[in-house]
Amino acid sequence: MGAHGNPVDHSTNATMNIYIYVLRRLLLVIPVLLGLSLITFSISRLVPGDPVGLAAGPQSTPEIRERMAAEFGLDRPIPEQYINYMAGVLQLDFGRSLYTKRDVNIELQARIPATLELTLAAIIFASTIGIPLGIVSSLHQNKPPDHVSRLLTLFFVSFPSFWLAMIFQSALGVYWDITPVAGRFPRLALPPQRVTGLLSIDSLLAGDLTAFFSTLHHIALPAFVLSLGALASITRITRASMLEALNNESVRTERSIGIPWALIVMKYVLRNAFTATFTIISLEFGWLMAGAVLVEAIFGWPGLGGYIVDASLNNDFQPIMGVTLVYGVIFSTVNIITDICYGLIDPRIRFG
Amino acid sequence: MAEKTHSIIDPEAVPQEAIHHRWESWRRGIYRFRTNRMSMVGLVILIFILLVAISAPWIAPYPEAATRANPLARDQSPNETYYFGTDRIGRDIFSRVLLGTGLALRVGTTIVFMASSIGVTIGAVSGYFGGWVEELLMRFTDIFLTVPGLVLAIAFTAALGRGIDNAMIGIALVWWPGFARMTRSQVISIKEEPYVEAIYGLGGGHMRIIFRHILPNAFSPIIIKMTTDFGFAVLTAAALGFVGVGAQPPTPEWGAMINFGRDYFPERWWMSTFPGMAIWLMVFCWNLLGDGLRDVLDPRSRR
Repeated sequence: MGAHGNPVDHSTNATMNIYIYVLRRLLLVIPVLLGLSLITFSISRLVPGDPVGLAAGPQSTPEIRERMAAEFGLDRPIPEQYINYMAGVLQLDFGRSLYTKRDVNIELQARIPATLELTLAAIIFASTIGIPLGIVSSLHQNKPPDHVSRLLTLFFVSFPSFWLAMIFQSALGVYWDITPVAGRFPRLALPPQRVTGLLSIDSLLAGDLTAFFSTLHHIALPAFVLSLGALASITRITRASMLEALNNESVRTERSIGIPWALIVMKYVLRNAFTATFTIISLEFGWLMAGAVLVEAIFGWPGLGGYIVDASLNNDFQPIMGVTLVYGVIFSTVNIITDICYGLIDPRIRFG
Repeated sequence: MAEKTHSIIDPEAVPQEAIHHRWESWRRGIYRFRTNRMSMVGLVILIFILLVAISAPWIAPYPEAATRANPLARDQSPNETYYFGTDRIGRDIFSRVLLGTGLALRVGTTIVFMASSIGVTIGAVSGYFGGWVEELLMRFTDIFLTVPGLVLAIAFTAALGRGIDNAMIGIALVWWPGFARMTRSQVISIKEEPYVEAIYGLGGGHMRIIFRHILPNAFSPIIIKMTTDFGFAVLTAAALGFVGVGAQPPTPEWGAMINFGRDYFPERWWMSTFPGMAIWLMVFCWNLLGDGLRDVLDPRSRR
């Protein structure tokens, strides 16, 4: 270390590099999000039929429709509509739903944490099942445990999640009455004071253990069903990267000098294998947010998924645009965080 | 004279050895695939499913059940006349599941072919030309990768108008980026080969080089991705049908059937259980098949 000059200088340099790297990534996100908004905006103008007429109702007179179009700014030329919309988005104003007449950003504020909490819980489930399965598979490569875990993950990933959710819901929720049928929190109870919006964390912050266990009780089944979709790839990637790490020459050396096998696996192999698994977990985060759309619909989970489904059934495009943009922001953020963590885990990767 | 020279160094001509080599590596792949028992099981069941799909209009006990209601036979649980029971308006669920098989296969095929043609073209062009073309096309691809595919597919389909045809288009429009990225990296590595430079030197045009000389060598990963994606494409289309923006009643589409039976679950469990099992079986077989093919492509993962 000393031979390479002043270590303090080196570390400030590295932090500077991270800052520059993050800044550059953030700048690159802007055109992507702009493009996304353009695409969703253009498709929202493709809507067949007449959303205003639909929202105003069949008995509405042309005057009423005109007034409504003016109220929602839909009488303006389309480029102007887009500029107005984007100007609003920059101030976190996503417009108002034609159908429910409610502000989109109020709905978003309530729904984003719900979806995030569900997805995070599912990721935790999928990793706690998938990573050990992958490790076991790799240690028993091409032997029965390996085949069984492979077959099991393929078995579960092939289920339509909405169908499985429906069956679990009626079995565990209705028939055996073990889990709540729907929702995030008991209907009549007072939710904890909002800090993060994630009910489990908020109830812990409020020191309310009953509420905490109640949220876990509500989230367990939807998160479990959702996690099944990510199981296969997490297991597969863990297995493949474990095999790669196990076949590294260093492992042979470590064995030959007599380090116990368990110690080699725990201390060296797992660490080398983890980077790939970590990447796939963050990729799965995105997949699971998509899967959450269906699981939310079944379990009456008040998240983004139910919102976009309802909106698209009602040809209500303001919420669809808002939700897509929010997904884009969450996704890009997760990607950037992943890349930064990736660099922190694996010292061979340099930012710059 | 000029004609003769042309025939000697014809950029169209592929040397006999190269064809032989390509064929040899395919044969080795087929051998490796056949040793994977689970994938063979998947393949056999899929062939069976295909036969069922083709013969469905003849073997379905009540082919008219696809669309026509039969109020006299409502809500029957599975019995000897109606193997899978009947639905709320008296249609035979067994017949509808059989008739939905062909639809599911058609949906998967359409999505996978549309998505791969868009994706392969964009990926090949950006990988081959590089520079600003690549930058532009790849940023465009990134846009589609920043939103979960299902969400964007729902939005696209809603905008195009509900229905199974628009659902296929909507799904294909969000499915191509995976193909684009994969093809791009393939093309980038192949275009450095000396033979590509040689063809260019002989006067081969860019488009001819891409489509006749580079893409054939990038074919196997593309085919494998098409196979592994097939099951998930079917699953996504069913999800859209279930949500209500995909196939509309009375189409015998499995996802829409589950949605139709959802309100009567679990008392009349058969209405949505059997279509769900049909989806599972088809997706599972495609996944088994794809799993085996992936090993053929990347033997490293399976040593």
